[in-house]
Amino acid sequence: MTTFMALAPLLTVVFGALVVLLLEAFMKRANREPLGYVAALALLAAGFFVIRSWNRDLDYFGGRLVLDRFSLLLIALFVILGLFVLLMGLKYAARQGMNLGEFCGLVLLAVAGLMIMVSSTDWLVVFLGLEVLSVASYALSGLKKTDRTSSEAAAKYFLMGSFAGAFFVFGLALVFGTSGSLDFSTLLAGGVSGAGLAPAGAVGLGLILAALSFKIAIAPFHMWAPDVYEGAPTPVTVFLTVGPKAAGLAVLFRLLVPLLRNEPFAAVFGSALSLMAVLTMFAGNLAALRQRSVKRMLAYSSIAHSGYLIVAVIAGDGPSLVFYLVVYLFMNAGAFSVLAAMSRKGVEYTALDDFAGLGRRYPWLAACLSVFLLSLAGFPPTAGFLAKFYVFSGAVREGHVALAVAAVLASLISVAYYLKVIVFMYMKEDQGEAAIDQENPALYLVIFLCLFGVVQLGLWPGNLLALIRQALSAAF
Amino acid sequence: MAWAVFLILSFLCIGSVAAMILSRNQAHNALFLVLSFSSLGGLFGLLDAPFAAAVQVLVYAGAIMVLFLFAIMMFNLRGELPVRVKKTRLAFTVGLGTILLAELLLAGRKLVLGSPGAASAAGGDTARLGHFLFSDYLYAFEITSLLILAALVGALALAGKREGS
Repeated sequence: MTTFMALAPLLTVVFGALVVLLLEAFMKRANREPLGYVAALALLAAGFFVIRSWNRDLDYFGGRLVLDRFSLLLIALFVILGLFVLLMGLKYAARQGMNLGEFCGLVLLAVAGLMIMVSSTDWLVVFLGLEVLSVASYALSGLKKTDRTSSEAAAKYFLMGSFAGAFFVFGLALVFGTSGSLDFSTLLAGGVSGAGLAPAGAVGLGLILAALSFKIAIAPFHMWAPDVYEGAPTPVTVFLTVGPKAAGLAVLFRLLVPLLRNEPFAAVFGSALSLMAVLTMFAGNLAALRQRSVKRMLAYSSIAHSGYLIVAVIAGDGPSLVFYLVVYLFMNAGAFSVLAAMSRKGVEYTALDDFAGLGRRYPWLAACLSVFLLSLAGFPPTAGFLAKFYVFSGAVREGHVALAVAAVLASLISVAYYLKVIVFMYMKEDQGEAAIDQENPALYLVIFLCLFGVVQLGLWPGNLLALIRQALSAAF
Repeated sequence: MAWAVFLILSFLCIGSVAAMILSRNQAHNALFLVLSFSSLGGLFGLLDAPFAAAVQVLVYAGAIMVLFLFAIMMFNLRGELPVRVKKTRLAFTVGLGTILLAELLLAGRKLVLGSPGAASAAGGDTARLGHFLFSDYLYAFEITSLLILAALVGALALAGKREGS
């Protein structure tokens, strides 16, 4: 159904960003928290429009904006992600010398970029959405202006990201030159009919895949990720580890699943992707083993998780992919929000030694972090176990046994460093240095919601799975 | 005749880009870039796209390069940067670059020798361009304005005053 209403979620978020940025100009420095509430309200309104549009298959601009159920599901995920990030940032911004108004405005703009990316099958629109997302993320990662690592992260992300963006445009030019159309389906038609792609189109597609893998942080395009994830302010790190990853994987999924069913194409791109998936899992997990900073360790772990997620794309297993993304949102945001809680004015405790004895001093915080880490490692009965189980069994079902074995081995390695943090929290002697400021209700709400998500989805995933299967049955 | 102009312009373009990468003086880099942008504009003109040619010269060779030169003057980057490149990394880079170049040449050969691609049909004047911009590409056009907004806000956020100072 073609209607202007298809624009409603996007417009709400952009309007919210504008309102926040305008209000910020008229507000006193001392207390800017209302800006956070305005931004959260905009996201909630967008969420309302998403629910209203469910099952109505809205589109606009001649099919360049399509709200099918797959994209609505992802947009809902981004709305939740945006809410988590905003709530985490409310107190964090004041404590770490960030401007809350700019933070909220940029988060909303970045969410708008994510929404644009997943709700179109037009190359140009996807690219522009990616750029809106990227430009907002570059600025977000440098918002902690008193901190040199944050500025370094912004500069690094900007330079590498622009480079990847150039690859995307170059690939796009080749694809447009050979197919004469900017829609995914025209390129796919050549690939699916068995005639194969024009050589220039195939090279273009390769360049676009490289640019997307950069955004998802897949080896060998992951070099920027640890520094950026570590240097960025912690709420922004949550956004960066989940948002671009989910959107990039959704685009990859839409693009690759019809192509990978086709023999000559699958032989080249399928094996290349499998190799990259294995590389990513092992590079991320092995590097995480050696880290002394919990934040950097989690950064490497998020690279490893991209590897598991790519396995789901290779197997063409949409429901597992989306389920893993939802679970990943909860467990990753949870782990990072405990990290954000380990702070007071001007100080953040991220070193492994700061976590020694946390189990005695802050038992609830330590217990929550343990649950999130166990879920990231994939222990039952947490949601992380089910997510990994679905992805790996889907891969075996589609005949990618070696890939599944590699994924299981990689996640065995990951258990070591996740457990190391838990050992430090409960079995090491207290150093007595990390004194944290506990007055932060919004952050504790996020931790609680993440805990709820991880446990609920681990024990009763049925409702969400039914929803995801319904959403994907029509599209693929 | 057109072939001769095409060859001259394209070699000028590629040559000046190569010179830009190899030269270690920032002002020279910028001027080589102007040369490559201008010859690219000439190539667009050869392809019967006068609007793209004019925009290429005005915006890229003109406005953007002025900004570049201003930035170079402001930062006063006189000293040459020390060259610290590991041999293995250099070899790796050259290898990967050669592979990419070979792929592109392979892809390009077919394009040049074969029939014109599907996209070559659409050339056009500014009226058609404007029509496309507000019909087929309206959504992309509007997102571009959102992109510029995001870039503005981001630049202000990074360059603005520090909180509390």
